[in-house]
Amino acid sequence: MGVALKDILTEFKHPAGQDELTGVAAVDTFNALYQFLSIIRQPDGTPLMDDEGRVTSHLSGLFFRTANFLQQGIRPVFVFDGKPPEMKSSTIQDRRDIRDESKEKWDEAKRKGDLTGAFRYAMSSSVVDEHIISSARTLLQFMGLPVVNAPSEGEAQAAYMARKGDVDYVISQDYDTLLFGTPVLVRNLTISGKRRIHGRQVTIQPERITLSDVLQTLEISREDLVDIAILTGTDFNPGIKGIGAKTGLKKVKNGEFDGIIRDKSPGFDPEPVRLFFQKPPVTDSYNLETSPVDRDGVFSFLCDEYSFSPDRVNPVLDKIAKKEKQKTLESWF
Amino acid sequence: MLKATITADIFRDTVDALSALVTECRLHFSETEVWARAVDTANVAMIILSLKKEAFSQYEATTGEIGLDIAKLKNTYSMMGKASDIRLEHPDGANKIEVTFEGYHYSITLLDSNTIKKDPNAPGIQLPGQVTISGSELNNVIKSAAIVSDKIWFAIDPDNKEFVLYAEGDSDNIKRSFSAGEVIACNWQQAKSLFSIDYLKDMGKVMSHAEKVTIDLGADHPIKFSFEIAGGNGQVEYLLAPRIEAD
Repeated sequence: MGVALKDILTEFKHPAGQDELTGVAAVDTFNALYQFLSIIRQPDGTPLMDDEGRVTSHLSGLFFRTANFLQQGIRPVFVFDGKPPEMKSSTIQDRRDIRDESKEKWDEAKRKGDLTGAFRYAMSSSVVDEHIISSARTLLQFMGLPVVNAPSEGEAQAAYMARKGDVDYVISQDYDTLLFGTPVLVRNLTISGKRRIHGRQVTIQPERITLSDVLQTLEISREDLVDIAILTGTDFNPGIKGIGAKTGLKKVKNGEFDGIIRDKSPGFDPEPVRLFFQKPPVTDSYNLETSPVDRDGVFSFLCDEYSFSPDRVNPVLDKIAKKEKQKTLESWF
Repeated sequence: MLKATITADIFRDTVDALSALVTECRLHFSETEVWARAVDTANVAMIILSLKKEAFSQYEATTGEIGLDIAKLKNTYSMMGKASDIRLEHPDGANKIEVTFEGYHYSITLLDSNTIKKDPNAPGIQLPGQVTISGSELNNVIKSAAIVSDKIWFAIDPDNKEFVLYAEGDSDNIKRSFSAGEVIACNWQQAKSLFSIDYLKDMGKVMSHAEKVTIDLGADHPIKFSFEIAGGNGQVEYLLAPRIEAD
């Protein structure tokens, strides 16, 4: 998922302090839902489920994490993916294969009592399906939060809104968002806190990457960054074997991109991928206004329909549903 | 025209009372008093201040008004001794006010009063609850509450005969209940409203000098603080709009 640019971006990741996070943030929602489904699981990897066996990990993540956002002064806008481009079909099939394989390995690990392995394979078996998407949309609607429907990739739409200045930054785990041109990407915000990774407990902090810092320091353009990603592999092309981000950077800066593609991947035309990152399908048709939280709606949806504990939901609702407004004296004269 | 002499203490108390809410205001004067009524830029808080001629050691005025830049007036504090007598002079039609003390002479340019926000109407609001407590106690509670939250409840609980100030933050809260024996006076009428501590902090500093502050309070209504300055020859009222919970 995403692009493997980590090796050249590490030095640009800065811890994101609370004051830097205040503002309007476009959330790459599919990415966030996938993260919730991956990490919000029981020790043997079983996701949270309601009385009917329906997965609720994503609703738990969405509700409690979003409530935290609101209390931190972050105003989230949830951007949902539209139709993926045709050139992503191979990646989608690969993901499906990995998921199916992980499911089998998860079952096997559970049988063997290997909890660490079970959790790891369970994470990889996460799937954002129609039930996950529609229930997430319903919850966000009850929470009064704006939802944007991207015509194609959610991170492309989110980056477009950030470039326009309609949002202050994009929340996603994927570096693709930088290729699509977001001025600021904040990672780890949906998963920050203590997490189990490869069987170990680690503390994950939000981190911020500023695109202009990356481009200026590396002395490259965004077009160059896209070319580096094409060499290392994106959701739309497999990349060139043996070329990682550091080598890619060197090759692109030396003007060797075309030659490498010609020699190592004859028949591959990088233009559609370049064009997709530079000019992806996006829309201006969105409304970023928030509405008051429908307290009864959220409660009924989470507690009545999806068996959430009222003792956990009510205190959070108390905090987010009651927003005091400063009145002016004019109201009394 | 205004020609008046006032002690440094009263001058400071008066200017501080104004500067807690506004950076500029119209100052009106007549043969018998000086007064100002102003709201902050957000229309959330109002000050009504008056000083009788008796607050001054010498006072001579004809009806008029001037536009004051409060920050400039505060600049004069630095050289002002505690017991200085401050001489204020504003000849008719002049665009400056002369402030003279201990050999210093400040000539301060006035603001064009047409450019200053219009004086608000006098409030005619009826608030059922009334309690009087010491200014320093009030300020202490506001300061304590500011550590945990940005807002504070003021409530009169007639059943338990308590005047309650309560602030709740994300993780901590603070409550100060004044029993009947701890308040100077209270009519024990039910009232409860929530207010922004940002506004109250500056007001609290000013009120801390007052021996007693009378608080008029309603349910989700503005709050009014009334107290004397200038040894009873001056009166200040602060009116602050509430924060109201909106589901």
